[in-house]
Amino acid sequence: MVTNTSKGGVSTIGMGKPRRFDPNDKKYIPALLITPVQILLCVMLIFPFILEFVISLTEWQPIYGDFWTAFGSVFTQKINQGINYNYLVTEEPRYLQALGRTVIMSVISLCLEFLIGLGLASLFLKKFWGKRIWFTALLTPMMIMPVVVGYTWFMLFQYNGPINQIFGWIAFSPVNLQWLNDGTLAFIAVIVTEVWHWTPLFFLIMLSGLNAVPENPIRAATVLGASNFKIFWTIILPNMRAVIIIAFVIRGMEVVKLFDEIYLLTRGGPGTSTETISLYLYKLAFEDFRLAYAGSAAFIVLVITVVLINMMLKPIRYQLVEGR
Amino acid sequence: MPERKFTPFNFIALIAGLLFAVFPILWMVSTSFKLRSEWVTSPPTWVSSAPTVDNYLTILAPQVLLERRGGTKQVGDENFGGSKDDAAGGAIADLLNRSAWPGIKGSIIISLSATILSIVVGLMAAISISRYRFGGNFTPFFILAGRMFPPIAIAIPFVIMFGPKVFDITDTYFGLIVAYAAVTVPFSTWMLKSFVDDLPHEIEEAAMMDGYSRWRAHFTVTVPLIKGGIIATTLFIFILNWSEFLFALILTYTDVQTIPVTLSKYFSATEGTLYGVQAALAMVSIVPLVIVGFFIQKHLVRGLTLGAIKR
Repeated sequence: MVTNTSKGGVSTIGMGKPRRFDPNDKKYIPALLITPVQILLCVMLIFPFILEFVISLTEWQPIYGDFWTAFGSVFTQKINQGINYNYLVTEEPRYLQALGRTVIMSVISLCLEFLIGLGLASLFLKKFWGKRIWFTALLTPMMIMPVVVGYTWFMLFQYNGPINQIFGWIAFSPVNLQWLNDGTLAFIAVIVTEVWHWTPLFFLIMLSGLNAVPENPIRAATVLGASNFKIFWTIILPNMRAVIIIAFVIRGMEVVKLFDEIYLLTRGGPGTSTETISLYLYKLAFEDFRLAYAGSAAFIVLVITVVLINMMLKPIRYQLVEGR
Repeated sequence: MPERKFTPFNFIALIAGLLFAVFPILWMVSTSFKLRSEWVTSPPTWVSSAPTVDNYLTILAPQVLLERRGGTKQVGDENFGGSKDDAAGGAIADLLNRSAWPGIKGSIIISLSATILSIVVGLMAAISISRYRFGGNFTPFFILAGRMFPPIAIAIPFVIMFGPKVFDITDTYFGLIVAYAAVTVPFSTWMLKSFVDDLPHEIEEAAMMDGYSRWRAHFTVTVPLIKGGIIATTLFIFILNWSEFLFALILTYTDVQTIPVTLSKYFSATEGTLYGVQAALAMVSIVPLVIVGFFIQKHLVRGLTLGAIKR
């Protein structure tokens, strides 16, 4: 386009009408289309993110009055130089324990979900009666909302509930395990619940991965006399690499947020034995009302998750954006 | 993959998997029909001896139970229908408090509005990202950030943000709708993007050749062609919104309720957990989800994997 920069104002002749915003211009359309989502995310994610950082620098609590006074004090008084952060990392073992527990819980449940899901998916490659019905039945847990899942398992894990009864039948003697009142057992209970809820997703993903494995190498290997294990290890698994990574990343993103089920099942108890990071933050902020600490704890979590997830997304970034 | 034989061992594994998947659901169904005296027994009651719908009446139509009891009389009075097996139990005031309608109403209003908001906003973003690659790789992953943040970490500033003197939308429908839309918009954007990606852009170009403006080409050509995908995404987002618990727990007090919060609050000081009533409400709340879920079964994996796996 001819611009006004040339000398003597000659170029205005070529300008036609003055430049003005035209919503039909190819240049503006994508920006206009994306604006609503950007506004929504800036107000609901970026602003809270900044706000959280500000809270974490203060010693504000709801009883000190509304937030703007606290916000003002950040500028009028000296910032507390990260006392909250220091406190959390050095003097609050619960915080680091909760972080560690979340990681352990996530890894165990993801691995179990993967193994069970893969096993079930390989069954569904074969032909048998009523396949569609069983398929649908297997998917049901995934569609149930987390609160109901937590509540249902809360019922099942009662000491006079059906799980103890079934174990009693197997052991030929009454079993009275205090599932939700014993640290280790409660931890197992939470993992069982999580595995029950999300194995169907792994099953679905693995099934779609298995269906995409090319047949001919497997036929060739069978003819050459390779064992089933060898076929699985050298042909099927490498072919499913991308799918497995996707499954782990996507579920990993969700499982670290685990809150609803535990809230209904154990509320992080007994003691702190099932307290994941979400539960810990919840208790800190909404039961103890130490919002400033909770803010700094949450801020660390946000930074960790964003960095970690970005690292995990790296191998599948291309696949996600290009959509294959 | 070559066909293999279904061995007896496979059969056992399949049955075990099915039992594991279905048993808790069946237990919940069974509990929702149990008499009050069968909620907590040792050994547990598997199937009620005299199935009752009292649990459902408690949450959906408490007046019926009230009338049966003769209006003002208290439970425990053996002369009146329900007596000790009455699912509702407790004082009359308690009984009326246990109606689930405020929760159901709130859930419907909030889930529907948040779903619509999320889909509209997400569809526009999806077109922008898929057709124009706006912002390169950054924008889609920026949007995904909404899914990366643990909701509890975002909820802490929300309490302040939604509170008085800032936006002042705590305990309103609007507040929850916006919050829900913000956490589901990454899913709707990514899922819709995968559907738009599937549609060749030549179709739009042909429309533009015929004199359609870009806007018209996007919204009157592309959008109707991915109708199926939009419906699947809508239902999927609806499931997510319907299940959301944390924000409702934190950002509502009395005026607004949603089913998950109502469900989590069915405890009574005098009677402990109201198992049967909770189970009945759980059933009521998951029926729409399961129906919707089966309807979009083949799109679920696409939605949950952000469009990375398409089938």
